[in-house]
Amino acid sequence: MLPFILKRLGLALLVAFTVSFISFSLLFLSGDPAAALAGETASGEDIDALRRLYGFDRPMLVQYGEWLWNALRGDFGESYYFKLPVASLIGDRLSVTMTLGVCGITFALLTAVPLGVVAAIRPNSIIDRIALFLSVAGQAMPSFWFGLILIVVFGIQLGWLPPSGASTWRHFIMPTIVLGYYAMPAIMRLTRAGMLEVLNSDYIRTARAKGAGEGRVLFKHALRNAIIPVVSLAAVQMGFMLGGSIVVESVFALHGAGYLAWESIARNDLPTVQALILIFSMFYIIFTFLADVLNAWLDPRMRSS
Amino acid sequence: MAAPQTTDPLLEEISGPTPRQILRKRVRGHTGLLFGLGVVLLLVIVAILAPVLAPHDPYVQDLTKRMVKPVFMGGTWEHPLGTDHLGRDYLSRLIYGARVSLLIGAVAALISGIIGTAMGVAAGYFGGKVDAVVTFLINVRLAMPVVLVALAVVAILGGSLEVVIGVLGLLLWDRFAVVMRASTLQVRRREYVAAAQAIGASTPRVILSEIMPNIVNNLIVIVTLEMAHAILLEAALSFLGLGVQPPTPSWGLMVSEGKNMMLFEPWLVLIPGVVLFILVLAINLMGDGLRDVTAPENRS
Amino acid sequence: MKAVFLKSTAMALAMSVAATGAALADKANDTLSVAFTKELENVDSFFNSSREGVVMQRAVWDGLIYRDPITNEYTGNLATEWEWIDDKTLELKLREGVKFHNGADFTADDVVATVNFVAKEENGVKTQRNVNWMEKAEKIDDFTVRITTKDVFPAAIEFLSGPVSIYPADYYAEVGPSGMGLKPVGTGPYKVVEVVPGQHFVLEKYEGYHDSPKGQPTIQNIDIRTIPDVNTQLAELFSGTLDMIWQVPSDQAEKMAAMGDRFTVLNESTMRVGYLSMDAAGRSGMDPNPFTDVKVRRAVNHAIDRQALVDNLLKGKSQVVSTACFPSQFGCAQDVTSYEYDPEKAKALLAEAGYPDGFSTELYAYRDREYAEAVSSYLNAVGIQTDFKLLQYSALRELNMKGEVPLAFLTWGSFSVNDASAMVSQFFKHGSLDDAQDDQTKEFLDIADSSTDPDTRIENYRKALQRIADQAYWAPMFSYNTNYVMTKEVDYTPTADEVLRFTNMSWN
Repeated sequence: MLPFILKRLGLALLVAFTVSFISFSLLFLSGDPAAALAGETASGEDIDALRRLYGFDRPMLVQYGEWLWNALRGDFGESYYFKLPVASLIGDRLSVTMTLGVCGITFALLTAVPLGVVAAIRPNSIIDRIALFLSVAGQAMPSFWFGLILIVVFGIQLGWLPPSGASTWRHFIMPTIVLGYYAMPAIMRLTRAGMLEVLNSDYIRTARAKGAGEGRVLFKHALRNAIIPVVSLAAVQMGFMLGGSIVVESVFALHGAGYLAWESIARNDLPTVQALILIFSMFYIIFTFLADVLNAWLDPRMRSS
Repeated sequence: MAAPQTTDPLLEEISGPTPRQILRKRVRGHTGLLFGLGVVLLLVIVAILAPVLAPHDPYVQDLTKRMVKPVFMGGTWEHPLGTDHLGRDYLSRLIYGARVSLLIGAVAALISGIIGTAMGVAAGYFGGKVDAVVTFLINVRLAMPVVLVALAVVAILGGSLEVVIGVLGLLLWDRFAVVMRASTLQVRRREYVAAAQAIGASTPRVILSEIMPNIVNNLIVIVTLEMAHAILLEAALSFLGLGVQPPTPSWGLMVSEGKNMMLFEPWLVLIPGVVLFILVLAINLMGDGLRDVTAPENRS
Repeated sequence: MKAVFLKSTAMALAMSVAATGAALADKANDTLSVAFTKELENVDSFFNSSREGVVMQRAVWDGLIYRDPITNEYTGNLATEWEWIDDKTLELKLREGVKFHNGADFTADDVVATVNFVAKEENGVKTQRNVNWMEKAEKIDDFTVRITTKDVFPAAIEFLSGPVSIYPADYYAEVGPSGMGLKPVGTGPYKVVEVVPGQHFVLEKYEGYHDSPKGQPTIQNIDIRTIPDVNTQLAELFSGTLDMIWQVPSDQAEKMAAMGDRFTVLNESTMRVGYLSMDAAGRSGMDPNPFTDVKVRRAVNHAIDRQALVDNLLKGKSQVVSTACFPSQFGCAQDVTSYEYDPEKAKALLAEAGYPDGFSTELYAYRDREYAEAVSSYLNAVGIQTDFKLLQYSALRELNMKGEVPLAFLTWGSFSVNDASAMVSQFFKHGSLDDAQDDQTKEFLDIADSSTDPDTRIENYRKALQRIADQAYWAPMFSYNTNYVMTKEVDYTPTADEVLRFTNMSWN
């Protein structure tokens, strides 16, 4: 087990390193941040001075090395816009995004798993069809549009929920649904497929033949086996969702990390954008790493691959 | 699913259906596939015939006729779906918007398809170091937050059709690579590949004539799904203001422009959103359907 | 069914108050809730360059001098009297007995420290133009200071009553701009009790506020939240969690005004002018460059229906602008060449210039996508195809300075300075932002800018503006306006300088 974890960890670190390099060089190509920094009324000389002050005239690899070294110590530089350390800026906003991500994945699991199980027990039943429809619709629904429609209906028409913001738990209901719905179809399909497979296996037939009750068969034996890949999928989806929260946060004006990323891109605030790309990548890397370890732990055959 | 019985069962019993017949029968019996195919074909025709079908020029503005309501909300047939914030005919913009969405979807899927397939097949066929490198690249790509990276790149290069297509094409190859790698691995172990290699066929030849024909079904399925993915992403980018630029009639952009008046004229958001939803739904149903009919045993 | 559903949205809007229940903000607990649209980068007024920053600055700090926004008269604020003792030296007597929010006494030391800090370029004040005219300040006694300017600078009084606020010396030395941004301390009518950077600011009436020409604040608490989306702002206004919003787009403001007696909608003009800038000097490397031909530039001017833009898009107190300045500015002559809307003439001019089928060009813009789109549509109609590029201000400015922009939709607010030099001289004196690089225009402007005789100035600004209009270097289009929407409980009269003044707000 340990060699597997170490190998997998090494890979994760290498991926993280590569992503950080790609995102740094990508934004480096965006040209000169000095003009953005200087603001509306700066002259050409002001900009030159800033360029030297911040060291933008040095070679890219030197700048990257410095950035990475600092980033490893949790120092992502200073935001061009707020003139505050990026790390402190991201801190509070990340908790909003994390809350949203956890709520979203919980919502997705709580709806997708029961639906998938029922759909598998009764294939082609009305519930199976509803589940299928929900999953097909979910994949086709533009999340920004779904969010707007929810705002109009539940925020304004019915007035049940606050249309945006993040001050109370009620503010998180609609964003949770939109973000969760994004992850739901894949989880549901996998649950259904896994359940179908397990239910048709010899193992379950044996359990049934031994006279185990149907409920016991379903939950003790079948679901427990079918859920393993679902959990690892959920972890991967969680990584994706955090990256996708940028759209949801901007629709609901949630001041999270995704929203900050969008605003920072528009403001040319490179240190913030670089840090956020790296952090979102890290989330994905960490979650997939955890999923792999979990899988390997539950299913020893995986360790060899 | 009850497929309509077209041939005499007795006759079929004797001659046995050809693979093509089986396929045709499966297609006819698959409502999702038929619906998806129908809608996509319809929209392709609409896109091609846009200049004929559109009642007005989608770019001509009339500032005195801004946000005229659609006919079902008390408007007139002059503008069946109303007009936008600059007095441009909404229906005409929707019709031309189909061109933008389909073009972006198709070309982005093509670019990413070429990249992803090349990587996937290479990894699956050669294995070893090549496989390790490709797998690593897939991991790197998956770890990059797509929306965020796409937004940043579009912000740097400026939003235009070409840039958006390019960015999406360069970002969405992961699923191609994953699926093509797995498919190639499967096919590679079959006898006819070994046979071809044994008689000294060159590597490109083996890949092109022995591997590719056997994984092309899977490829088509991924193409459709990624096309839908690209269309949705373009809409999201345009919605966030960093996609296709005005006055190009993109559906995502239309939602974004209508959003300002969402509280007072919600139809401005509703109409392009519904059309976008239907197109993506249809493409997905088509993709799922194709998977079902080409490989029914893999149905999930 | 759908139609009914949609139509009723506006109605539902009005009724959602009851459903959402308890509102945080209202007259009952003496808290006024206001929304900012943009995230304020730093509350320290020397380190931001946004409207929101000016609003905070006027509430939290005071300047030495005060300009009445309606009469434009100067009166003393932290200074009581002032006098030019020579061309470059201004002596000010300071008000006694003023205390900062942290209890420190206001003295000449604070003025000296503030001026000497901000005037130093390396301290990086964001808008250098606001402070770089000052050389230094020196203390004469505890309540007398002298400010020395670098050059003769008659506008000093205007700047001392505007962007230059006085900071507490000891505190500022200790915490610096970022500390000041997080825990601001001033002498102003409101003190800051909470700052969540970029998102949330809570102000409280400063009980010890001196007898200032700004007047005494009446509302106890001001709660400011950043809500970037106008729809959300409107929804919150409906549900009672906001009392006031501003910079509301004209379409929404119109709908709000039509919704009956719950809201007051007020419109006020601003000094901001929207215009098209063309690469007349041929710097952009576009080849062939049509904009170097005066006929093409005139065609562009004829192609745009300015009146339709003002009537249908900008509305309110906006007006058609045909010179390179805001009409109320000193020296902004109106009797110069103007171009009526005439697409046929535009096409004819293009044909004459050798572009019978038009041409294509990049069109850059940095704000108001809707207006830019309408303008590009007018250009398309006469055959000028536009490749539209919406950039951030800083990015566009950089391109512009490098001379790489053939055609751009730009705006300029003149820093609310009521003098033509704040606009026309900013752009037509061969700076890097000058797309015309015209010697004759510069000559006229040099005379106008350096003269102290009003008539000479008027005459030469007129000549310059006539030259610009005749050569059609720009296509000036319209001035902007701002809509203020508030509940009927709030009493406020907006001013034409687009600054919210909490001190002048009260409950009805």
